Amino acid sequence: MTERRPNRTLGPDHDTFWAYCNQGEFRLQQCNTCSKIQWPPTPMCNECLSDEFTWTPMSGRATINTYCTFERPYYKECPPPWEAILVELEEGPLFMSNPKGFSVEGKERGTPVKVTFLDCEDDAGPFKLPVFELAD
Amino acid sequence: MGYDLSRLRQVSDQVAVVGVGDTDYAKDYEAARVARQEGREEIGALDSYGLAALAFRRALADSGLKKEDIDGIAVGGPVVHQRVCEILGINPVWGIEGHQSDILLPLAVQAIASGACTTVALIYGNAQRSMGTRYGGGGIGSDQPTSYYYYHPWGWSSQGAHYAMMFKAHQLMYGSTEEQLGTVSRTIRKHAMLNDNAVMKTPISEDEYNNARYIARPLKIYDYCLVNDGGVAIILTTKERAKDLPKTPVLVSGFGRATAEIGATQLRDRMFDLYHEVLKQSGDQAFAMSQMTTKDVGHFQTYDAFSVHLPINLEGFGFCKPGEGLEYIQDGRIEIGGELPCNTSGGMLSESYMQSWNHQVEAVRQLRHEAGRRQVEDVQTSMFCHHGSGGAFSIMYRRGN
Ligand SMILES: [Zn+2]
Repeated sequence: MTERRPNRTLGPDHDTFWAYCNQGEFRLQQCNTCSKIQWPPTPMCNECLSDEFTWTPMSGRATINTYCTFERPYYKECPPPWEAILVELEEGPLFMSNPKGFSVEGKERGTPVKVTFLDCEDDAGPFKLPVFELAD
Repeated sequence: MGYDLSRLRQVSDQVAVVGVGDTDYAKDYEAARVARQEGREEIGALDSYGLAALAFRRALADSGLKKEDIDGIAVGGPVVHQRVCEILGINPVWGIEGHQSDILLPLAVQAIASGACTTVALIYGNAQRSMGTRYGGGGIGSDQPTSYYYYHPWGWSSQGAHYAMMFKAHQLMYGSTEEQLGTVSRTIRKHAMLNDNAVMKTPISEDEYNNARYIARPLKIYDYCLVNDGGVAIILTTKERAKDLPKTPVLVSGFGRATAEIGATQLRDRMFDLYHEVLKQSGDQAFAMSQMTTKDVGHFQTYDAFSVHLPINLEGFGFCKPGEGLEYIQDGRIEIGGELPCNTSGGMLSESYMQSWNHQVEAVRQLRHEAGRRQVEDVQTSMFCHHGSGGAFSIMYRRGN
């Protein structure tokens, strides 16, 4: 089942992120000079001002930081109740996402989760969306 | 690097607010409500420019100045500086547009203190209800790289959701409860009931709060500010000129600004630290510049787009420890007559959503001792503070003589 979603942000660097997702790979930009990992995509490292990056695979392991549930509709593609979670990736960055296969209600900060991909579609076509399920 | 405290202190108490004006929030909101009931469009009689002009006329009358005395104009809300000046018939020698009052007011103080101009009108007009302005979804902020922009495909939207996540983080870290949070909206509503011009004047009982519908859980409808039409104007001039004017001057004693722009879209400072560090930095500057401490603050005006602002600001500015903001506000402490009266005109939760502008007006009225039924007895100082996307802002006021 393909889910309809609000449009992605596309363009330089964003396209690369989504292309990896579409291969089932969760990669973020890592600075070649100072190793800082960036999310969202950026044209320049905000630590050392280098513009050379490698798209590095993330482990996909993360923990829940916080969450909320939309109880009124903001996007027609996302009917309430709609849960959003902010997770902290093992590599450091925070990542806004959705829970898959579980509800956030009653979850503690630090609950381990892992990345998985949902088949989705927006105006630009089909794509795979990184979301998070409970880790074993 | 950073501000120069000795030079900032030279600016402290040198510029005064001498005039304030606002529009008929309650009457205009009621007219919109009646229109909705009768199936008409909820379009107010004044657009953003008309509201700005009315507020300016009232502030000018309040100040005792003439139009010709105004030589600086700063505008906020969805109005353009050039057109506002044209409508007012003023060619200012100093001007700026496009920010909230907590950014514009310190800039105006700096302009006056440096001699760039002598008398500034800060003007805001926003017919947001009539215009059907939407905050969230495909509305304001969705088309540029703010903290919504990259996260659309996950259904992420709205400032309210940011504060829902912040309150959830507060709950997860400190064990705070929704019932405790309810004290914010319920107390501020109580204050609004003492203000004839407040949009919302019916009390909120504990049961009504606890059973209210959620918007972005854990936040309920009462944790969200209003959306209504209105305008505000504030006139500032030198302390010396203020002496010749009719109203008691209210001196700008200090201001602080600290930012956490790095990681703004990542939301790290928001969610991990609840902005405590930037709030502290902003407070350190404002307290040092004004030579005040938290103990000297007699009246507290916090930006309250969401109820969550209040406990987080009290914690960040050092009125209590991190995690204790919701305990602090219980038992009448933030009521008029309590230790730290907060948002005494009803703030944006109950008086009017003027995006920080109505807070400055109320601080001035309190310090002039003209707040009527809601007057904080013999109050001498007031603090305004705000945190939002990436920053923390504060302003200290002192009653002049
Ligand atoms: Zn780097």
